[in-house]
Amino acid sequence: MSVQGKRLGLVFSVLLVFVAGCGGGSGSNGTPPPAAKFSNTSLAGQYAFSMSGSELCAGLTSFFTRAGTFTADGNGNVTTGLEDINVCNGVATLRFTGGRYSIGPNGRGTLSLVNGAGTTNYSITLTTATQGLIAQTDADTTASGSIQRQNPAAFSNPAIAGGYVFDFSGVEVSGTTVNATSFVGRFNADGSGNISGAVFDSNSAGTLSGQKPFPAGAFYRVDTNGDGSTFGRGTANIAGQEYAFYVVDATRLKFTATGTSFPSAFVGDAIAQQNIAFNNTSLDGSFAFLIGGSSSTGSIATAGRFTADGAGKITNVVIDENNSGSLTLLPNGTVTGSYAMDSNQLGGGTLTWTDTKSGTFSFIFYLISPTQAVLQETDSKIVSDGTFLAQTTTPISSAALAGDYTLSWSGVGNDAEDFVGQLSLAAAGNLAGKIDVNEFGTGKQFFNVPLSGTFTVSGDGTQANTVIFNLQSTPADTFHFTAYVVNQDTIFLVGADSNRVLIGTMIRQP
Amino acid sequence: MSLKGPRVIGIAALAMALLLATASAQQSSTLVSPRAAAYDATRETICQGTILSYTEDSLLPPIGAHATVQTSSGAVDVHLGPALYLRANDFSLSQGDFVRIIGATISVQNGEIFMARIVQRGQRFIVIRSLRGSLQAIGAVRALPEARRAETTRGSAR
Repeated sequence: MSVQGKRLGLVFSVLLVFVAGCGGGSGSNGTPPPAAKFSNTSLAGQYAFSMSGSELCAGLTSFFTRAGTFTADGNGNVTTGLEDINVCNGVATLRFTGGRYSIGPNGRGTLSLVNGAGTTNYSITLTTATQGLIAQTDADTTASGSIQRQNPAAFSNPAIAGGYVFDFSGVEVSGTTVNATSFVGRFNADGSGNISGAVFDSNSAGTLSGQKPFPAGAFYRVDTNGDGSTFGRGTANIAGQEYAFYVVDATRLKFTATGTSFPSAFVGDAIAQQNIAFNNTSLDGSFAFLIGGSSSTGSIATAGRFTADGAGKITNVVIDENNSGSLTLLPNGTVTGSYAMDSNQLGGGTLTWTDTKSGTFSFIFYLISPTQAVLQETDSKIVSDGTFLAQTTTPISSAALAGDYTLSWSGVGNDAEDFVGQLSLAAAGNLAGKIDVNEFGTGKQFFNVPLSGTFTVSGDGTQANTVIFNLQSTPADTFHFTAYVVNQDTIFLVGADSNRVLIGTMIRQP
Repeated sequence: MSLKGPRVIGIAALAMALLLATASAQQSSTLVSPRAAAYDATRETICQGTILSYTEDSLLPPIGAHATVQTSSGAVDVHLGPALYLRANDFSLSQGDFVRIIGATISVQNGEIFMARIVQRGQRFIVIRSLRGSLQAIGAVRALPEARRAETTRGSAR
């Protein structure tokens, strides 16, 4: 059975992490990328993390979020840290008093974090020494997200200045009613804790706010009690919701809802926005997208690509949608599309395409720059969010894709599930690696599962490609994905099986 | 630990829901377009009859628990969301049970399906979806009244 729809909602924060830093580039604090091999020394310094997932609470499965930071000593020890959690019966800020980690030569490893309430356990895979993927691996808790090395020089209000685009998703609880909800928007931070130029679009189980200014009371503030300067923690009111946030660097903040937002729970990232006046010419070229969330029937995951002409027209739409096991592939009939940037030039816009056989797909987006954006679907009571990224126009071959990748996917199958691992893709398209699996429940955590499979490039590689992953030991299974290549470093995955809804990524390692 | 019926609502609430629902047709006569497979509370009807079969993991989408209900106008495929949510609420369904279900019919790729919002079996009720169609399983304990939520054991995520 499917557990919940909103397990697929952290696409944005996972992906943009790597967009900004993939390809082995240096981190925000100037640390050079590691050599091809990883070790415990690769994980050194302060790392911010955020994730969402499912916890077992009073016999029921429940959405939860966490964001925080831990300090790795480069020798397998966690020395300190802090996190904010939003769990079924409350929110809390917890101090890490210790922990352990181990990183293997392929970047895969494990992490444990100890606080006053106990120990939480994770699998991680490093893309570089500055960032990676993370999945919680406790028996009654599964979650996935990302980690990035922090830059302590940005742990102050003045460092947080300029425009930011955000994508937060989760569940909105009103009385005894729960609705999957997504917020996307942008704001200006003035370097002193004040917010202006702030607009957002919310989608609460298909009820759309339309673009609105932030309600009164918006702010951001790095903590002054020592948690700010030590951990990069702060609090904020964004689009009327209270959040704790952790500074990665001046270009990225990681948020989790706290305070009066509870019992609602949201999580996501804000990314620095390019300071330009956006108009229709800002969206010009080929783009690949990946979004996940929920619909009336359950979980939904969608990946695809489109071309924008810089003048409001959308062409060459190709998508794969898995809506609670129902697969929709476009083009099915004839597809026409258009987009329009908002006249306020803040980067927001609307995007739509219609397939004569499959209907109309509608979206809100906010451009971070002309090459990346957050994306929220707005049709059919679908609450699905993620990102689109400029897609290479160079034909992609299997040979060009060959190399080592971090791999993660999450979603719902028989239950909530998260997978994080690493693989090597050969020029011939065959792949091999290992993956850790949390299928949510006692005895359903599996580590170092051998992975094999194939990556089959179709046509010039910029459309829908096929990936098959075979887990070769318990929980042995075959997973079918459609892959959309953003570029030779980044690949979007959407599950193509009708008995599960999965969304994932492959990110090249150096 | 199992929690007894946290999402089970009372008779009064069901009565109100029934009033909100349209007449007791077994199925909506007008279906939405193929893309708009979305829950529409304005199209709510009541499906009632005897369960012919119940499965927690249907091979046909949407993923989740399905029941085939024999109504006066024929058999209806009912989507009930995550089976774990039903089990955790001690709400079971079996062949031969008589049920009344508030929901709406939508079109999916493999045909029409009745999306359950509230299910009644005997004197027990469970809310499957919000009026907007969002599966309540996504929030589970979070949607309990504050006093009840405070009584629950803490979550396992800490």
